[in-house]
Amino acid sequence: MSETHPTAPVAQRENTKLAMWVFLGGEVVFFVSLILLIIFTRLTHTGYEAQFRSHLSIPVIALNTFILVTSSYFVVRSLEAISYKGDQKGLRTNMIMVIVLGLLFLGGQAFEWSELFAAGVNLSTIYGSPFFTVTGIHGTHVFVGILWAVYLLVGHQRMPFTKENHLGVENFGLYWHFVDIVWIVLFTIIYLI
Amino acid sequence: METEKRPNYLYVFMTLAVFTLIETLVSYMREAVIKIPILVILAVVKAALVLLYFMHLKYDSKVFSYLFIAGCLLSIPLILVLVVVMPMIL
Repeated sequence: MSETHPTAPVAQRENTKLAMWVFLGGEVVFFVSLILLIIFTRLTHTGYEAQFRSHLSIPVIALNTFILVTSSYFVVRSLEAISYKGDQKGLRTNMIMVIVLGLLFLGGQAFEWSELFAAGVNLSTIYGSPFFTVTGIHGTHVFVGILWAVYLLVGHQRMPFTKENHLGVENFGLYWHFVDIVWIVLFTIIYLI
Repeated sequence: METEKRPNYLYVFMTLAVFTLIETLVSYMREAVIKIPILVILAVVKAALVLLYFMHLKYDSKVFSYLFIAGCLLSIPLILVLVVVMPMIL
C-alpha cells in the first residue's frame, strides 16, 4: 500500500487508515460467509466428520497458531519502535521476524496439506473442498501480508518511515492482526470444536 | 493512534499464548456441552484482545470500531440464511 507524503495534511494521511478499516469491515463479511460454509458442511455431513478429523493434527496446528500470534506481537513491536522511538533498526528487525514467522506459518500449512493429500483428503472430498478453500484463502492473505512486509522493509529505503510518518506500518499492522483474528476463529471452528 | 496511551503488548501476547495452550488442552475433552462454550469464549476473548490492544480500537477513534461492527452486523443476514435453510435440509 502506498504511503502518503510526509507533508500531506494529517486528515489526508488518516484517510488511508479509514480506508483500511472499511476494507476490513468488508473482509469480515467475506470470512463469515466462508466460516458458515464450514459450519454448514459439518452440520449436513456429520457422518464424514470423524473420518476427516482423524487426519487433522491438533498439536501441529496449535504450534502454527502460536507462530501467527507471535508474529502479531512482532508487528506491534515494529510499530512501537518507529512510532515512539523513531527506531529504524528496531522497525527492520521486528519486521524481519514478522516475515520469518509468516513463512513458518505457511510452511506449517503446507506440511498439513501434504499430510492430508497423502491421506487421500483433497478438493473433491466433502470436507476437503470447504477446508482447502477456507484455509487456502486465509493462507493467501498471509502470503499477501508477507509481500506487504517485504515491501515495507525493502521498498521504503528511499523514503524511510519516521516517528511522525509511519501510517504505512500501522495500516499493515491492522491487516496482519485481522488475518490473525480470522485464524483464531478458524482454529476454533475447524480444529478444536 | 490518537492518544499516547500504551498497552503492555507483552502481557497481551502472553495472554494470547496461554489461551492458545488452554484451548488446545480443552479440545481433547470429550464432553461437548462443556468443551464448546469454553472454546467459543476463549476464541472471542482472544479476538477481542487483538482488536482492542494490537489494533488499538480501545484507544483509537470510535469511527474505526463502528466500521468493524458494521461488518459484523452485515454478516447477520448470512447467519440468518443458514439458520433458516438448515432445518429445511436436515
